[in-house]
Amino acid sequence: MTEVIATNQTILVVGGGVSGMTAALEAAEMGKKVVLVEKRAFIGGRITQLYKYFPKLCHPTCGLEINQRRAKMNPNLTILTLAQVTDLTGSEGNYSAKVTISPRYVNENCTACGDCAKAVDAEFDNEFNYGLGAMKKRKGAYLPYNMAHPQTYVLDPAMIGTEDAEKAKAACKYNAIDLEMQEEVLELNIGAVIWATGWRPYDAAKIQPYGYDRIANVITSVEFERMMDASGPTGGKLIRPSDGKEAKDVAFIQCAGSRDRNHLKHCSRICCMASLKQSTYVSEQFADSGKSTIYYIDIRAIDRFEDFYKKVQANKNVSFVKSKVANIIEDKATGNPILRGVDTEGYHRYEQPHDLVVLAIGMEPSLNEAGFPGEVVINEHGFIERDESNGAIFAAGCAADALDVNRAVQSATAASLRAIQVVNRVAGAEG
Amino acid sequence: MADEKKVGAYICSGCGIGDRLNMKQLEMTATRDGKAKVCKTHDFLCSKAGVQMIQDDIDNDGVNQLAIAACSRRAKVEAFNFSDVSQTRINLREGVIWARPEGDEHTETTQEMADDYVRMGCHEVKAMTVPTGSDEQPLVKSVLVVGGGITGLTAAVESFKTGYSVTLVEKSGALGGMAGDLYKRVPTRAPYAEPEETGVAELIEAVNAADGISVHLNTTVTKTAGAPGRFEIDLSTESGSTETTTVGAIVQASGMKAYDANQLPEFAYGKNADVVTNVELEALAKAANGGSMKRPSDGKEIKSVTFIQCAGQRSEKEGHLSYCSGFCCNTSIKQAMYFKESNPNADTTILFTDLRTPGAGGEDFYRSGQKKGILFSKGEVSEVVPSAEGLEVKFNDLILGEETSMQADLVVLATGQVPNSGPDPYAAVPTKEEKEAAEASNTVEISVESILNLDYRQGTDLPHLSNGFTDSHFICFPYETRRTGIYSAGPVRRPMDTLQAQDDAMGAALKAIQSAENAGQGRAAHPRSGDLSYPLFRKEGCTQCKRCTVECPFGAINEDERGFPQFNESRCRRCGTCMGACPVRVISFDNYSVDTVGNQIKNVDIPDEFDEKPRILVLACENDAYPALDMGAKNGYHYSQWARVIPVRCLGSVNTVWLTDALSEGYDGVVLMGCQKGDDYQCHFVKGSEMATMRMSKIADTLQQLNLEEERVSTYEVAITDIQRAPQLINDMADTIEKIGMSPFKF
Amino acid sequence: MSELNIAMVEKYRNSFLHEVEANVEEGDWVKMCMQCGVCSGSCPLGSHWEHSPQKLFMMIRAGKREEVLSSDSMWMCTSCYNCVVRCPREVPITHIMHGLASYAKRLGLVPKGQQTAKFAQHFWDNLVKKGRVNELKLGLNLYFMNGFAEGVKTSLKMKDIGLGMLKTKRMSPMEIFGGHKVKDLDGFQAMVKKAQEIETARIEKNMNA
Repeated sequence: MTEVIATNQTILVVGGGVSGMTAALEAAEMGKKVVLVEKRAFIGGRITQLYKYFPKLCHPTCGLEINQRRAKMNPNLTILTLAQVTDLTGSEGNYSAKVTISPRYVNENCTACGDCAKAVDAEFDNEFNYGLGAMKKRKGAYLPYNMAHPQTYVLDPAMIGTEDAEKAKAACKYNAIDLEMQEEVLELNIGAVIWATGWRPYDAAKIQPYGYDRIANVITSVEFERMMDASGPTGGKLIRPSDGKEAKDVAFIQCAGSRDRNHLKHCSRICCMASLKQSTYVSEQFADSGKSTIYYIDIRAIDRFEDFYKKVQANKNVSFVKSKVANIIEDKATGNPILRGVDTEGYHRYEQPHDLVVLAIGMEPSLNEAGFPGEVVINEHGFIERDESNGAIFAAGCAADALDVNRAVQSATAASLRAIQVVNRVAGAEG
Repeated sequence: MADEKKVGAYICSGCGIGDRLNMKQLEMTATRDGKAKVCKTHDFLCSKAGVQMIQDDIDNDGVNQLAIAACSRRAKVEAFNFSDVSQTRINLREGVIWARPEGDEHTETTQEMADDYVRMGCHEVKAMTVPTGSDEQPLVKSVLVVGGGITGLTAAVESFKTGYSVTLVEKSGALGGMAGDLYKRVPTRAPYAEPEETGVAELIEAVNAADGISVHLNTTVTKTAGAPGRFEIDLSTESGSTETTTVGAIVQASGMKAYDANQLPEFAYGKNADVVTNVELEALAKAANGGSMKRPSDGKEIKSVTFIQCAGQRSEKEGHLSYCSGFCCNTSIKQAMYFKESNPNADTTILFTDLRTPGAGGEDFYRSGQKKGILFSKGEVSEVVPSAEGLEVKFNDLILGEETSMQADLVVLATGQVPNSGPDPYAAVPTKEEKEAAEASNTVEISVESILNLDYRQGTDLPHLSNGFTDSHFICFPYETRRTGIYSAGPVRRPMDTLQAQDDAMGAALKAIQSAENAGQGRAAHPRSGDLSYPLFRKEGCTQCKRCTVECPFGAINEDERGFPQFNESRCRRCGTCMGACPVRVISFDNYSVDTVGNQIKNVDIPDEFDEKPRILVLACENDAYPALDMGAKNGYHYSQWARVIPVRCLGSVNTVWLTDALSEGYDGVVLMGCQKGDDYQCHFVKGSEMATMRMSKIADTLQQLNLEEERVSTYEVAITDIQRAPQLINDMADTIEKIGMSPFKF
Repeated sequence: MSELNIAMVEKYRNSFLHEVEANVEEGDWVKMCMQCGVCSGSCPLGSHWEHSPQKLFMMIRAGKREEVLSSDSMWMCTSCYNCVVRCPREVPITHIMHGLASYAKRLGLVPKGQQTAKFAQHFWDNLVKKGRVNELKLGLNLYFMNGFAEGVKTSLKMKDIGLGMLKTKRMSPMEIFGGHKVKDLDGFQAMVKKAQEIETARIEKNMNA
C-alpha cells in the first residue's frame, strides 16, 4: 500500500509537468507539505519530449535535472505517479481528494538496472516517441525515457498475465517486480489544490484538408521535436517518415488547429515561436542546403521573442508566406506533400511541394477531455477561470491559459503562493 | 570523541557491479589506500537492509564520513539520505561498469577504474565536514516592495496575506502607477469581450487597510546594504529626511516608463495635438468617462480614429525599441472599444503588421473588436500628415499591395513599454573612441537613476537581460535574477499587461519570502536550494587580490575597508566561482573545497610511463555534463578506460591548481566539460563556463613551462543532451594522447 | 449609372463596408475576416478569380466600391462551400459572394457579357415561368446564349449526352412545348412577386434610414 500522510495543511498539486513541478517545489521549499499527483509514470510532462526551448535554444532537460534534484532532496514533497485525482470535494482549507493509482507492477526496490527489459520480448508502441520512426516500439518492461524520475521501471499492463511478465519477474534480482499489484485508491485530506494538468496536442487528424491521417510526410510539431533527440526515434536525424530521406525542405503550417472556429478557437501562443525555433533545427542539420518555409497568419513573437524572430528572418534559408494553407495533397511518385493556397500579401497562388510538412499543432487544455472531478469554473476553451467560487483550487500553467514554459512557470509560482496562503491560514487557525 | 572523523566505505555489488568487479580487491583498496575504518559490501545496498546497515554503523560505530560505492550520485538519492554525516557517492555503476564494455580484455582496466574511484571517494569525504548553515542573518519576516503601481500593490498585498510585513516605497505622491491612470483594462475573464475595471482602487484600499503594510510616498531607496535576511534600506523622502529599515527580501516593481513619442516625427507626434500615444489616450478616455471623446486640438467630437501599431517598436531605427511590447494590440482593441462605447458608428481602424493577441483570451477579444465594427488592416504606416479635414495617415496596404491613405480625426500611436530599471552593472564600458565620438557629436548622455542604490561591489542595481529589462535569463526559472533575495516583477522585468504583472507580482512575492526564509535557516537559494554549505575564508592567507569579488556572478562579495572580501553568505549561491578564482586557495566550503577535489586527483594511481596506461582527468559540470555521461553509459556509449571523472558544482569553481597538480603528477590529459557560454549561456551560475575558459586560456603558459603540449588540456561546452558526444570527447582526448604520447611527468 | 446606384453612392459616401453590411446578404460578416486566405486557396475555380474572396473583403473595407461591384470575381462562385467549411471564422463566404453578385446586378453594375450573370438570368427567367426548370429549354437557351453559330457548335458537341438523356427518359422532347409546371403556378408567381417587393422595400428602407 502506498502510504501518504496528508492533512488540511497539505497542498495537493495535480499534474507533474513543468507547472505542477514548479508549484510543488516552490511550496515544498517554503516548508509546506506537498503531494504531487502525476498521471504518467514519471514527472516532467511535455517538456521531457522537447529538444530545445525558444528563444534561448537551451535544453529543457537541463532545468529538469535541477528540478528533479530539488525533488529528490526535499522531504516535504511526495510524488505519486501513474496517479489521477478522481474525486475532489470540500472547500477552502478542507478538501477530500480521491487519488487512484494504477499499478506499476514495480516497487521501490527497483534499481533501474534494466535486467527486466532485457528479459522480456514483448514490445508495445512507444508513446514517448509518438510511435514514430525506428524507436516506435519499446519493451513491455521499460524505463519511460533516459531521465525518468522516479528512476523506476514500469511494466506495461497489457503484458500482465503473459509469460513475458513472469520472465521479467524472474530476471529481477531485487524482488522489485510485483505482478499482483492492484489499483489503489487513496483518500487524502488537503487544504488547497493546484491544478496543473497542462495540455495535449490537438488531434491533427481532425484538420481534414491537411491529411495528417493520409499523408506520411505530414507530421506535427511535437513529433518533429522528438526527431532531434539523439536518443529519440530517428537518432537525432531529421528524416521523413515515408522513406527515411533527409527532410531538407520543410514547411511549417501555423495555426494548425488554433484560431479556428472548426477546431480550437483560441490562439495557442507557443506555435509561432515553436516553428521559428524548429526552422533553426533544419539549419542546424543541413546548413545552407536546408530550407524552411513558414506559412502564417500573424507571427506572434511578443516581447524579446521579436529579437529571435528577426534573427530567423535574417536567415536566407527561411522564408515566410502569409497564408493559411488551404489543403495538402500527396505527390504519389515522390511522397512529397504539395501545399496549395494563396499568399495573401499581393494575392499569389502557390502549389508548392516540400519534403516534409510540420503542422504547428494547437494546444488543447488536457482538462476538457478528462473533465474536472470537482467544482470549478471552466471557460468555453477548456481553461480554468479565475473565480471566487473555485475556493482554494488554483489553476497553474496551461490549465489556466495557453502559455509558453516561461509564463507557465510564472503562473505556477503565483498559484503556489495562493495555495500557501490558504494552508498558512489553516495553520494559523489551528495554532 | 564525537568529532573524530571516521570513514565508512560501503560497496554495493548489485546491478552487475559484483559480476564485473573484484569486490575483495575494492574492499582492500578502501581500507588499505582509502584508509576507511569500516568497509562493508552488500549485494543490494539501496535496499532497506543495506541502508539500515549503514545507519547502524553511524549510530553505533561512530562512522560519520560515508563513501558509498554504488550507482551514480543521481540515482537512489532518497535511499542514501543520512543526516549529520558527510557523504560522497562513488559511481561504480554508470561511471565504471556501464561506461566500459564487457569482456576479459577489459577486466583489468575496468577494475583499475573502480579502484581509483574508491580511493578518490574515500579521500574526498575525508576532506569534508558537515555543513551547519550560515548564521549570519536571522529570520526577518518582512519584504521591501519598490514601486506603488499595480505590480507593487499586488506584491505588497500578497506578501502581507502570506504573513509578512511590507515596506512599500513609491517615488511619486500617490499609489496606483500607470495602471491607475487607465480608464479600463483588457478583460481578464471569459468571454473576453468588454474592457473591465482595473481594480487598482480596490488594491490601494487593501494596502491602506493592512496594518502590516507601511506606505512611503514621495520616497526613494537611497541605499540598500546587507543581504537576504538583513537588508538595510535607507528610505529618503523628497524633503531630505532619511530613515533606515531592515527587511528580509526585496521585490523590485519599478514598472515602466512611457515611450517618448517625440522620436516619431514621421507620425506628426508633437507637431499636431491630435496625434496621441496609447498612454495619453487613456487620459482622454478617463476625462470622457464613457461620454464622447473630444479632439485635443479643437474639442470637436472624434468620429474617426486610426491606431498605428508598433509605433517606434519592432524596429532597428535609432531611438526605436527593437522588441515587441506585447500588450499594445490588445490595448488598441480596448481603446477602439472606448470610442464604440459612446458612438457605435465611430470609425475605428487598427493598422498592424502582425496582430498579436495570444492566448485564450486574446483571440476572443480580437473577435469581439471585429464584431463591434473595429476595422483591421495589415499595413505599414509611413507618415501622418495634418490636412484640412484632420489627419491623413499614409500607409502601404500589404494585402492589396498599394500605397494608400486614410483620414482620421485622431491618430493613436501604439507605443511600447520602456522598463524603469536602474543602470546595468555589467553595461559595456564605452571605449575611449566611443566617448570621444559622443563628445564630438554633442550627444547628451542620459544618466539612468538608480532604483535600489545597492551598496554592492558590482553595481547599484539588478543586471539587465536585454533592452534594459531585468528579466531572468532562464526559461525554466523566470525569477532568477543575479542578485539573491531581490526579485523583479512587472514591466521592469519584461513587457507585460496588468494581468500578467499581477501574476508576476505574486510569483516574485513568493520567491522573496522564500529567500528570507532560506536566509533565516542559513540555506542556499536556487539552484542549490537547501544547501547548507557556504564559503569559508581563511583571512590570514588572503592577498586582497580581489579576484573573488570581481568574478562572483551574483555580486555577493563586497570588500571591506582593507580590501578583504566580505562574503555575505545569504547572497551567495554556492557555485564556488570564488573558490576557483582564488590564487591562494583560501576559499572553501565544508563539503566542497580545493582539497575535496584535490584529494581525488591525487589519489588516482598513476602507472608509470612504460605501462602505457595514460590517465585523463575529466572535470564535469554536475548538472549537465555529468548526467550526460551517466545517460550515455546507460545507453551503451562507452568511454575511455583511462578517464577519471570528477563532478564539479560548476566549471567556474575549477581552480587551476587542480590542473597544474594533475599535470605535474603525470596525468596525460585534462578535459573540462561545462555549459554553453556567450549571450545564450546555459550555465545556471551564469559565468562558470566563461570563467573556466578564460582561466584555461592562461593555462597555456603553465603547459609551456612544463614543456607539455597544449592539446593535453581541452575545454568543451557540453549539454545534458550530449549523451553520445560527451563520451566521444573523452575518447578524442585518449586518441590525442595516443598520438602525442604519454606525459613525461610520471614518477 | 442606375438611380439606385447613384443613391447608394450618396448615402454611403464614407463607408462601402456599411453599405455592404446593410444591403448585401450576410454582408455583416465581412468585418469578421482575418485575412488568412484559406478561402482563396480552397476555391476550385480560384485561378479564374481576379480578386479572391478574402481580397474582396479587404477591398470592401478599403472602400473600393466600383472595383468590387463591377468585378466579375464573385460571379465565379459555384457554391461548392469549400471556403465556408474551412473558414476559421465561419464567415458564410459563399452567401456573401452571391449577395455581392445580386447587389451588383440590382445596381446595374454587372460587367458586360458576364457569362454567369447571363446564365443566372436565363435560369431565373426559365424558372419563374412555370415554377420548374425546363431543362431542355434552359440547355438550348444556354447553347445559343452567345450567338447562333456557337449554339450549333455546342449543340453538336453535346448531342450524345442529350440523346442519352432522352433515351433514359431523363429529359422529354415534349418539354419544348410549354413544359411541366408546379401545381399552383399562380400562387408561386405571387410568392416570387411578394419576395421581390419585400427585398425592394428593404433596400428602400435602408436608403431612407
